[in-house]
Amino acid sequence: MSDPVVTEGDLAEMVEQVWVSYLDPEGVSPLVVHGDNKQSSEVHSTVSITGSWHGHLVYASSQYAAKKAAAAFLAMEPDEVSQEDISDVLGELANIVGGNVKAMLPTGCFLSLPTVVLAPDTASYYPAAERISGLYGSWEGEPVSISVWQSMKQEASA
Amino acid sequence: MKILIADDSRVMRQIVTRTLRQAGFGDHELIEAADGQQAVDLAVAEKPDLVISDWNMPELTGIEVLRKLRAAGNDVKFGFVTSECTAEMQQAAEAAGSAFFIVKPFTAERFDEVLSPILG
Repeated sequence: MSDPVVTEGDLAEMVEQVWVSYLDPEGVSPLVVHGDNKQSSEVHSTVSITGSWHGHLVYASSQYAAKKAAAAFLAMEPDEVSQEDISDVLGELANIVGGNVKAMLPTGCFLSLPTVVLAPDTASYYPAAERISGLYGSWEGEPVSISVWQSMKQEASA
Repeated sequence: MKILIADDSRVMRQIVTRTLRQAGFGDHELIEAADGQQAVDLAVAEKPDLVISDWNMPELTGIEVLRKLRAAGNDVKFGFVTSECTAEMQQAAEAAGSAFFIVKPFTAERFDEVLSPILG
């Protein structure tokens, strides 16, 4: 089987940029990748990509990791961030990684606005799509994952 | 100078504001728009000197905002801060009259490099 259009290594590079820019500018608490794709999450966000390629990018984490992300984005303490801040940041994380994923795809793709779901990633289904790559890790002990799902229908017609 | 920041994410507007400050542009007057239509309205009503716009926004996308302003004869300096960075988008932005293209995630150094020639 050929390599997926976006590999785990590609995702790792994008995620590293996000961590360096916003979540861990001091370089002291990177996302530690362990590859356990069965780890549980409590919240997630998605963006859909349509056009010459069809699929979804999913960012999932624990509630506390989402709160810590919002705090880092806003330069506040985790206890100071609101639920609205957390949702906003979750959406933006999917948007940032999704936008970078889109740049690796064939031309003629469109990125949707993000959808935020305050429930585990297993609560969302992507009919006729399969996971083609994923980055599973922990951030200061909290689960964080980024996965890419590709429409199988498109693969069949390609 | 007056700078209009257009992004549907309130958090991202705050980050752009913080990054402008970190890059040494903290003395400029900043105003914010939360979607594309509001960006057009504020660009007309507030006459900013520079618009820093997201691409993917509700109501109107960033490129639609830029095209709408140019079609109405508005020549405000305009550039994008977006997670999307395909060559086709950069070309479309340039063709519509965009002055710069900053990709998320970004750093204060990148803001400095791109905005110094514009903001002085």
